[in-house]
Amino acid sequence: MAPRVLLVFALLLLSYAFWASPDFGEIAAGIALFLFGMVSLQAGFKAFSGGTLEAALRLSTNRLWKSIGFGFLTTTLAQSSTLISLITISFVSAEMITLAGGIGVIMGANLGTTTGAWLIAGLGLRVDIGAYAMPLLAFGVVAFLSPGRIPKGIGNLLLGIGFLFLGIHYMKQGFGALQAGVDLATLAVPGMAGVLLFTAIGMLITVIMQSSHATLLLVITALATGQVTYDNALALSIGANLGSAITTALGGLAANIGGKRLAVAHVLFNVTTAAVAVALFGQMSWAVDRLSSLARIAPHDYLLKLALFHTLFNLLGVLLFVPFVARLEHLLVRHVHFTVPPENQPRYLYPEALKTFETGVAAVHKEVGHLYDNAHGLIARGLSLDPSVINSEVPLGERVRATRRILPLDIDEAYEKEIKSLHGEILSFIGEMRGRNIPAPWMDQLLTLQGAGRDIVEAVKAMKHLHKNLSRYAASRHPVVREQYDAIRIQVAKLLREIRELRMQEPEAVASLSLDALKLALETFSRKLTDGITELISRQQISPQMATSMMNDESYACTIGEKLIDAVRVLLLSGDRSDRKVEEHLALDKTELGRIARGAGAPATQADAKEIHQ
Amino acid sequence: MKTKTILQALGDFLNADRAAQLNELESVRKILRQLRTKERRLREQLAATPDPEEQQELSAELEVVHAQRLKGLERVAELRGERQSQRSSRARRSRSIS
Repeated sequence: MAPRVLLVFALLLLSYAFWASPDFGEIAAGIALFLFGMVSLQAGFKAFSGGTLEAALRLSTNRLWKSIGFGFLTTTLAQSSTLISLITISFVSAEMITLAGGIGVIMGANLGTTTGAWLIAGLGLRVDIGAYAMPLLAFGVVAFLSPGRIPKGIGNLLLGIGFLFLGIHYMKQGFGALQAGVDLATLAVPGMAGVLLFTAIGMLITVIMQSSHATLLLVITALATGQVTYDNALALSIGANLGSAITTALGGLAANIGGKRLAVAHVLFNVTTAAVAVALFGQMSWAVDRLSSLARIAPHDYLLKLALFHTLFNLLGVLLFVPFVARLEHLLVRHVHFTVPPENQPRYLYPEALKTFETGVAAVHKEVGHLYDNAHGLIARGLSLDPSVINSEVPLGERVRATRRILPLDIDEAYEKEIKSLHGEILSFIGEMRGRNIPAPWMDQLLTLQGAGRDIVEAVKAMKHLHKNLSRYAASRHPVVREQYDAIRIQVAKLLREIRELRMQEPEAVASLSLDALKLALETFSRKLTDGITELISRQQISPQMATSMMNDESYACTIGEKLIDAVRVLLLSGDRSDRKVEEHLALDKTELGRIARGAGAPATQADAKEIHQ
Repeated sequence: MKTKTILQALGDFLNADRAAQLNELESVRKILRQLRTKERRLREQLAATPDPEEQQELSAELEVVHAQRLKGLERVAELRGERQSQRSSRARRSRSIS
């Protein structure tokens, strides 16, 4: 609702500007070109990042100073704190970086926006920047129309800078022409009332334009042409900071709990910084004057003094927050909650995760893990065992043999509710990612995860088939029949328990390889049970119909095991591409496992045996 | 340093296949070390457990780790062989140029 109201408000304001004065129209067109330049610049930046930005973000957040440095540097390069903040929110939401790391990046990004003010004040308004825009735009279009990702990226960067320059040029001209007719400086409000009023105006302009950079440009250009007083311009720059927090907060609403907590941290940081800046307005203005004279900035060079003020109050905010980041993280985790969605609802698939390929794939990975958890619970209940029994250290054999009656379960309904709808959501999210021209390595991971999801669904479907006969025979009074079904239940329950233990371990490369032992156990179980059933028929202890049912159910049990192992292997594979390739290579195939199951798994030669024991 | 040597070093640096091979070799070695640790742990558990059923399970698990280590060692030998043949073909090429 709020974005629509803002859109209508912005359109009305623009219509009025064009109707009221062609000079206002020129200023509005300048802002539009500047914003378009920022969009192009971000597109170019993203084309070059291609995973590098994401990898750097993960590596640069283990220490607070690194997080702040990363936020500062990337915002300076991309000239957009909103882009960096939103990417950081998606990373915190996907649990790829910690909340404290995210807070550090946000603080650094705030500091990074101050470089924009220096660029505009120090360079943008002192030279004929429009003249530089023309060749940049011409070269930019040529590069943009060339085939290939890199030339297009360069084209976007050149076009971005070109449009930024052109936007500044038009705004300069617009304000210059306006100066002749209207004097907005007469609307100046002195004192604390003026500080509060212009802070609110700066915030409103930033929320409408979705960019604190554009607001700063507007403020600096207006200040350069005398359309706004120096004091009011300082207040507007405080408002610009507040407005950028609102933009991020709106982005955080679409994220999960991690992202929401970071958005709250961003708002807290910017509101506190703004409150301190407003409260110490006089002292900060005095500090700016002192520092300006030390830095040899002329007393009437209000543009550079504004840039200095902007840097100073952001730096003050960072210095105020740095000692309390760990405590802030603790408080946010303690006080910012949200209701856990029901089991059948996705927990990680949210629009913010689509911001980068890496967060998108991580979100799918986590959601497939959630799907597995649902399948784990459903299969446990299908075996007539409470999931808490599987998740404990209670001896499974004793518990299964003590079963007197099979717990009632509408497995079809449970499948529809807990598995099918969630799997559908995963497929739909993957479909959306695939429509975004995803590069090959991410696409491969996505397809592997899609396959893991399908394996989980197939395991549950096999459980549906197995459940029919388990309901009839698992509590049978016929000891021979009961024994076979007990064996099936114990095997599947044991597998669920062992997989759970593997998933709970610290991530290490051999975790996925440990699944081969489970496959071997499954293979051995299958051979043993089939031999047992054959012997029972030959001794005429069970009817051929019963034997057929047992054989089918043995096959369903093996399908459950194999599909779950295959799915979990994908979830346990290392994040490092090279390690993942080796893990896949070292995993034993069906023939190799068959050889070990038959007792022929010894090393091929004595030399091999000798080498391996070294 | 001779120009030829510099060019060769640059070629190696730019050769993506070679870099990938080196990465893979490092990964195999790392995983082999982890498997060896796991094997040692399983052997200790096997020696400590009196339960025959558990003994059987641990023995099976040991066999799996053993087979995986064998595959890993074979892969190391393959990768070393590939690197060796690449080096010798480069040496042949440089001899024929000079």
